Amino acid sequence: MSNTEGFVLQAAPHAHGRASVPRIMHAVNISLLPVIVISVLYYGLHVLGLYAIGIATCLATEALVKVARGRSWRSILDGSAVVTALLFVMVLPPSISPLLVVIGSAAAIFFGKEVFGGIGHNVFNPALVGRAFIAAAYPVQITTWTAAREVFGFLPPPRTLSVVEAATGATPLAAARFEGTTEPLIRLFFGQTAGSIGATSVLFILIGGLALTAMGIVRWRMVVSFLGTVFVGTGIFWLIDPGTYANPVFHLLAGGVMFAAFYMITDMVTTPYTNTGTVIFGAGAGLLTVIIRLFGGFPEGVMYAILLMNAATPIINRMNNRVFGAEAAS
Amino acid sequence: MLTFSRRGGVHPAYHKELASGLPIEPCPLPKRLEIPLSQHLGVPAAPLVSRGDEVSPGDVIAEAPKLISAHVHTPAAGKVRSVVQKPLPGGRMCDYVQIDVDEERTAAHEWSAREVDLAQVDPQWLARTSREAGIVGMGGATFPTDVKLSPPPTAKLDVFILNGAECEPYLTCDHRMMVEHAREILQGIELVHAAFGFSRVIVGIEENKPEALEAFRREAKSFAGMPLEIAALETRYPQGAEKVLIESTTKRVVPAGKLPFEVGVVAANVQTMYALQQAAYLGKPLGERVVTVSGAGIATPKNLRVPVGTPIAELAEHCGGFSEQTTKIVMGGPMTGIALPSLDYSITKGAGGLLFLTQHDYPDESPCIKCGSCVDVCPMRLMPLKLAAFAKAGKFEEAKATNLADCFECGCCAWACPANIKIVSWIKYAKNYIRVKGI
Repeated sequence: MSNTEGFVLQAAPHAHGRASVPRIMHAVNISLLPVIVISVLYYGLHVLGLYAIGIATCLATEALVKVARGRSWRSILDGSAVVTALLFVMVLPPSISPLLVVIGSAAAIFFGKEVFGGIGHNVFNPALVGRAFIAAAYPVQITTWTAAREVFGFLPPPRTLSVVEAATGATPLAAARFEGTTEPLIRLFFGQTAGSIGATSVLFILIGGLALTAMGIVRWRMVVSFLGTVFVGTGIFWLIDPGTYANPVFHLLAGGVMFAAFYMITDMVTTPYTNTGTVIFGAGAGLLTVIIRLFGGFPEGVMYAILLMNAATPIINRMNNRVFGAEAAS
Repeated sequence: MLTFSRRGGVHPAYHKELASGLPIEPCPLPKRLEIPLSQHLGVPAAPLVSRGDEVSPGDVIAEAPKLISAHVHTPAAGKVRSVVQKPLPGGRMCDYVQIDVDEERTAAHEWSAREVDLAQVDPQWLARTSREAGIVGMGGATFPTDVKLSPPPTAKLDVFILNGAECEPYLTCDHRMMVEHAREILQGIELVHAAFGFSRVIVGIEENKPEALEAFRREAKSFAGMPLEIAALETRYPQGAEKVLIESTTKRVVPAGKLPFEVGVVAANVQTMYALQQAAYLGKPLGERVVTVSGAGIATPKNLRVPVGTPIAELAEHCGGFSEQTTKIVMGGPMTGIALPSLDYSITKGAGGLLFLTQHDYPDESPCIKCGSCVDVCPMRLMPLKLAAFAKAGKFEEAKATNLADCFECGCCAWACPANIKIVSWIKYAKNYIRVKGI
């Protein structure tokens, strides 16, 4: 009956749940497997190489920064750098050069995360910082699209491409915006179209995204308020002028909206944590997406919408919940 | 099934099966009792005895000097060895009365049963009886019961709640008391009801204790004079926290910063009501309590009836000793209990558990990822991550303005935190800082 090392004197609670940061990050990574598989089927094996390059660069960048700051490099094992790498590669065009993946991944981790002090401290979604960096530095490569291979033979044929479109491989969103043609919705649902590596395959995003929602890692209020705002916002304009504006279901299925709903606006660090805050964030990001898509210079607006709302998050988080009994006390 | 608002609370691993089926056994009297004079919230009791004094079971050995305090009695006969200063669990220094126990004289002592005329019971009688018996809240808060039962004249108490939630993992002492002593507990409640005339008397028990619910349903038939309701509560920590329990059972919300009497409710723990019954019907002051000795580190978990002041080493020994794997000894439950550096402590009126835990992994804090889990699980709807961050940054005014004082330290936030942030420790630190510096 002795314990030579002494007893642990930590304060209560002396029990802990199973939640841990690595667990959350690994869950997100695993939930992305359906998207990874379909992206390889659509665009070829080289996509796997892009994922690998992205992951290696993100891990190496984080490790280097940590060592340079005299901290332990072991933080890279928490899985968060892998999340950033996967999300970043998934929002790139399939024809992107591996070099740009390296540059963008390094920028994502360095400017998006480590300059703020690492995980938990960053203001902007690191994957989107990486993409914004590439969009600014390599505007041509980031807007050059290739159509996905025909994987699902039972789907109706794609819309007829104009000559210009066929040459540039325009995305459905660009076509809708600039040509006034809409891709069959069922093709968008499967992601059988031209678009980012992983961000357009709605069905496969939903598999992982709904699993994360069931696990409580994705906050459903944020998803609902974001998707709801995009739907209502684009719906209003479609009702006013269906000839000019695409229908709201198209807007939910096309581009990065669904991917953003489950994987970008749900980044815990850069989005609010109260129920009210998540609803405000989702609505704000949805509104900005609608405005940029319908009236901005780009056909897609999700990335800037989220980055802008990331900047607003600290203000949103200043709100406090009303404590138990506050109403009764006043 | 009743429960509190949709938000808040956690489901920790309960581990109640280790001891929930084990009947209460008496813990043998130790050779020497070491009775702390601060076993209650408020001012420590002042010693009335000194070296060499002979004492008999039930003698007052220390007196409450102020209203918010409680008398301390000796549970055994013997001779006072000395009054010494030793730390309480948590570190505060306190007088302890050491008594060399006289086993024969203790065994020979008998408590005499007495009649209680319920018609004569009024709030004053109740407060006097509680005070003379040194009764305090035995659920852990140890607030003097006589003070609790003396609400201001403006308060109109219409609901009584027996707190039989016992929501802390491992602890089964209240569970066993309810299974084995439902009648006595109800007799205690009957006294309070006689004094106040409640319109509802609610027995709140978490539904993971069906035998306890059954025992009360059975015994309730003998108490037809009381407006009794036996309420099965959802098993969700911290169901037994007073404000939470009141919301679950009555839907009344105690205003922030106020006491339950503001909404006409008085709630009391199972063993407190048992102690009141013993005081009223046997003249027996509060000198013992039931303690659950449990955890993976102890050889044979038990529910023990322990004289107050028994050194915990005696309990460990009576339960077959603890293993080399034991890394932590906790007085109380795992969510709110206090870790002890050694076995050199005594059982007090508020100690419901003595746990020998074998957890080996004590991960360091990592940065907060703003996941909001702590916000989701807080039963008081606080922003624990902000309170912890303010405390770390030394921003105590901000912490105070973010409702620091409403935290009752249930531990849900720290339990749920994926970054292992010691949120409750930071909150305690801020509270202490504010108290000491008078911010």
